[in-house]
Amino acid sequence: MTKYIVNRILGMIPTLFIIITLSFFIVRIAPGGPLSAERNLTDVVRRNIEAKYHLDEPLIKQYARYMFDVMRGDLGPSFKYKDYDVNYYIATSLPKSIVLGICAMAISVTIGMGIGIIAAVRQNSWIDYLTMGLAVIGISVPLFVIAPVFQLIFAVKLKWLPTSGWYTTGEGYLTIILPAVSLSFEYFANIARLTRSSMLETLRSDYIRTAKAKGMKRSAIIFKHAMKGALLPVVSYLGPAFAGIITGSVVVEQIFRVPGLGKFFVQSSFNRDYTLIVGVVIVYSVILIFMNFIVDIIYAQLDPRITYK
Amino acid sequence: MKNVVATNEFNQVVEGNSLGKDAWRRLRKNKMAVIGMIVVIIYSILAATAPLLPIYPYDQIILDHQHLRPSLTRTSGEIMMENRLKDLYFKAWRSGELVVTEAESAQIRKWIAANDTNKVWNFVFKEGEAQREAGIFTFNAADQRVITRLQDKIDTEFLIDVTQITFSEEKGDKRQDLSKMSYEQISRIYADLSNTDIEAVKAQTLTEVSSQLMNTLKSATPGLTAEEYAVNLELELQTIGESGVAKLGKTNLLGKISTTITRQADRDLKQEIREGLAVFPVERIIDVNDQLQAKVTATKKHERMYYLGTDYSGRDMLSRIIYGSQVSIAIGLVGTLTSVLIGIVLGAIAGYVGGKVDYILMRIVDIMYGLPYMLLVIIFMAIFGRNILNLFGALALVSWLTIARMVRGQVMSLKNSEYVEAARSMGGSTARIILKHMIPNSLSVIIVYSTLRVPAFIMQESFLSFLGLGVQAPFASWGSLVGDAVDGMTLYPWRLIFPAIAMTLFLFAMNFFGDGLRDAFDPQSKNEL
Repeated sequence: MTKYIVNRILGMIPTLFIIITLSFFIVRIAPGGPLSAERNLTDVVRRNIEAKYHLDEPLIKQYARYMFDVMRGDLGPSFKYKDYDVNYYIATSLPKSIVLGICAMAISVTIGMGIGIIAAVRQNSWIDYLTMGLAVIGISVPLFVIAPVFQLIFAVKLKWLPTSGWYTTGEGYLTIILPAVSLSFEYFANIARLTRSSMLETLRSDYIRTAKAKGMKRSAIIFKHAMKGALLPVVSYLGPAFAGIITGSVVVEQIFRVPGLGKFFVQSSFNRDYTLIVGVVIVYSVILIFMNFIVDIIYAQLDPRITYK
Repeated sequence: MKNVVATNEFNQVVEGNSLGKDAWRRLRKNKMAVIGMIVVIIYSILAATAPLLPIYPYDQIILDHQHLRPSLTRTSGEIMMENRLKDLYFKAWRSGELVVTEAESAQIRKWIAANDTNKVWNFVFKEGEAQREAGIFTFNAADQRVITRLQDKIDTEFLIDVTQITFSEEKGDKRQDLSKMSYEQISRIYADLSNTDIEAVKAQTLTEVSSQLMNTLKSATPGLTAEEYAVNLELELQTIGESGVAKLGKTNLLGKISTTITRQADRDLKQEIREGLAVFPVERIIDVNDQLQAKVTATKKHERMYYLGTDYSGRDMLSRIIYGSQVSIAIGLVGTLTSVLIGIVLGAIAGYVGGKVDYILMRIVDIMYGLPYMLLVIIFMAIFGRNILNLFGALALVSWLTIARMVRGQVMSLKNSEYVEAARSMGGSTARIILKHMIPNSLSVIIVYSTLRVPAFIMQESFLSFLGLGVQAPFASWGSLVGDAVDGMTLYPWRLIFPAIAMTLFLFAMNFFGDGLRDAFDPQSKNEL
């Protein structure tokens, strides 16, 4: 087990290396640079600025310098925002995005699995049809439609919840609800569908019949025996789901004005703020790879057939 | 072979059954899937025939018609007047001219505090109209003047459309359609029309074409230096060549000629309105000079009807949604097609050739799976310019992974089957075996997967357009329409609701259709993702 984990962690390094390299070169190969927006630069000023950010060096040297800095945990200065460096911006905004992502994930997993199990146990009843109908809505309605519509209904018309903002700026914890719920909508629907189908299959298997024949309680059969087997496909879906929640949070943060990482991502792409773009991509990729890793471990824990070789 | 009927020992006819036929039978039984299919077909027909539909142009900006609410029965002029009256009544209430009870005033103030602008407007409008009807309230002179002027504008303003311009050398000659004539001829005609020299016209046109090209260049690749732009422009001019310049110049000149004609028609019609002669809609042929003749139609500007309202620059939402679905559906189809093609080719190669090639290709797929690919698309779009072509490219580039894996798996399992071995032993080439035997046998899986990919593609495109990285104005897509609407959604909810409904309905239908197709092709399949 330990060996497996160590191997997996070592395996992440080349992936991360490739991601950093790719994003570094993509942003630099593209036409236009961070200075092109400033029109009236004299040559001397331009040269000075370029020298300050090492833009005058050959690309390979810039790359080596950047890699060295990243390994020390320094993501460099931002080209656009002069006050702080990239580390500062990421450190201040990332926690907000992570809280949002975890809330959304928690909502989609608990509600999705709950609904999926109920629908499977009561197959072909009205509960089944209702919940699965809801799930199709969840899959078909895009995030950026559901988020403004929720905002319109619950915040503007009914005034139950605040329209935008975040609890760190003093608007209360209610501000989390709308963004987290909208973000979880699609994933809750997928998880519910997955849980239902795999639960149905598990409930038809032989070992469940044996448990029933032994006269076990229905709840014990469902929660102790069936659940473990039924969860496997759901767990393997959590990796892609987390990736989706990360990208989705870019939109949700924009709509609900959450001061998270998403704002920096979109803005820095427009500004060609090289270091900030690459920094944000690195952070997102680390989260993504790490979550995939956790999912793999949980998966292996749940399924004893998987060996760590 | 035709007359041979296969019978079994009970003398019953056994009909042959193909996979496709079988699947179609199962699909037909699935009501939701059939409804989904019909909805998808209707959408596709609407999107494909958009230029033929009797709707207003999707990019025609009429600033007077900003943010008009949707109405099935009332013309834009009436709604404009209503909006203006609401405004004036509100002002009158503020200044104390419109008298309401104390309780009502308190209610209005409460609404204002809660930002319920629409409620305030509707209330003062109703109250004001009732009072004006009863003769209790009259507008002051300044406001009355504003109303009269607006009413006058609504009654008289019109839009002129030059549908065809024809030319004949001498009176009585056969008339030629100007749009079918050459650049040379049109330059001469324009020179005559504007009393200038033909060489001057040509020089002027060339400058205009260059500056047009320059603008496209600048929007496609922003942030270059002036010299780089100059070099690029030179290159661009060389690529399109003499004929390209002539073509662009011709379009420009035609535009200018029709502007001249519009101006003339405008003058004439205004004169007629003053004399009370004009009857709208006007459709007539006017003689511009001895040689030119134009077919002109004119309609009342403020008699247009906006069934789904208008957007922030007075464009018709209905036609924007229809043209938006054109873009969205096209991206869904083309994107799916390209990604599926890339996936099939790479997957088939990896699966069939195996060994090192397979290893390398699959490692690439693994790494790309690890990337937050939507973020890479965002970077790609932000950096290489925001046009539809780049959008196609960026999306196709990152979405061939799953299909490649699937095809690889299929090919690997088919590789050792007897019929492939037979084909190989008869000397079939690799390409032939892949193309003729393996891909057709994996086609059902591919088709099912592709239908489920289309909504995903549409969502991704809309996601980017929503962020402002996809389709740019004046073009529209569902995503950009929703994205534009988010800002003013409390005041102008129709701008958000209609595109959202249009999009959701399509995605709904497409998902049901895809699910049904999967169940039909593969009845054993679970309800997987």
